[in-house]
Amino acid sequence: MAYSDKVLDHYSNPRNVGSMDKASTDVGTGLVGAPECGDVMKLQIKVNPLTNVIEDAKFKTFGCGSAIASSSLATEWVKGKTIDEALQIKNTEIVKELALPPVKIHCSVLAEDAIRAAIGDWKKKQGVGVTAEMAAK
Amino acid sequence: MRAAHFCNACGKVQPAMPVDYFTFFGLPRKLNVDLNGLEKEFYALSRRLHPDGFFSASEVERLWSLEQSSQLNDAYRTLKDPIRRTEYLLRLEGVELEEQSKQATEAARASGNLKKQVVPPALLEEVFELNMQLEELRANRKMGEKDDALEAELSGQKKLLEEKFDALFSELKGLWSEWDQAVESETEPARLPIRDKLLDLVNRRNYIRNLVRDVNEALEIG
Repeated sequence: MAYSDKVLDHYSNPRNVGSMDKASTDVGTGLVGAPECGDVMKLQIKVNPLTNVIEDAKFKTFGCGSAIASSSLATEWVKGKTIDEALQIKNTEIVKELALPPVKIHCSVLAEDAIRAAIGDWKKKQGVGVTAEMAAK
Repeated sequence: MRAAHFCNACGKVQPAMPVDYFTFFGLPRKLNVDLNGLEKEFYALSRRLHPDGFFSASEVERLWSLEQSSQLNDAYRTLKDPIRRTEYLLRLEGVELEEQSKQATEAARASGNLKKQVVPPALLEEVFELNMQLEELRANRKMGEKDDALEAELSGQKKLLEEKFDALFSELKGLWSEWDQAVESETEPARLPIRDKLLDLVNRRNYIRNLVRDVNEALEIG
């Protein structure tokens, strides 16, 4: 099975690799893993507290090429989006963009999980109860 | 219940039935298995079902003996291994091992709640940190440098992981007994929480196994 060109591009030239200060109040950190393959992925976002716009995103993933490409793409996509917009990103869009084969779908799931976990962490820091806010909707 | 391998009346080989491996051997769906008994049963059936014994039989009997033999081999290989047996039982109990993340994510998306991580966060932290160190070790090696302190630390970590790995096996055996008791009491609600505990343990075990493998690879290169 060959990787698609887009996966190879993100894999050999990953965007936004790195880390941010976990303790900072405007940084949200998501650390997620997939038991199916043993991959682990950390995704961090830096959010403007006035506009709720994600100004920066970083990731570090230990896993296969598809997992690295999925998280690299995820950081590209969340940048410039508001928190609510970023929550709309679905793993199926990542699958489509990277042309991931069925056996690699869990990599895209991991990337979506990472985005949601990072946003959840940030919300917690802002003192917003995630479930309470969802219930009010 | 037990799958019929031979006709009760005439003793001829029967077609392979689409049964699970426990039923194939006439075993209850329990996790503590008498391995000596299973082995004896395997060899006895193996002799009687082997296609070599059917070279002069009818074509359909030859085919059936072949199918039964292959089912026998699959069933034995799966049930004799403690981990394969556990994973096989989880599948029988409706767990899709390869799909758990996806299903949990879809459920979280639909409900708007935060997804319950399949892997415990503390273990993820540990896996992440260790991977960072492994990366450093590989980078050092690439530059031709040797960092004895880092290697010693990784060896120490590996030992701890292996101990954890062994401890998980004792934990697994404890869960086997819980499961078997629940099967005996025949209440499905009692089985579900134990099934989930088994799944959690299998997941943690897989993570640690991969991690030990990666540490070994990294340490042995130089």
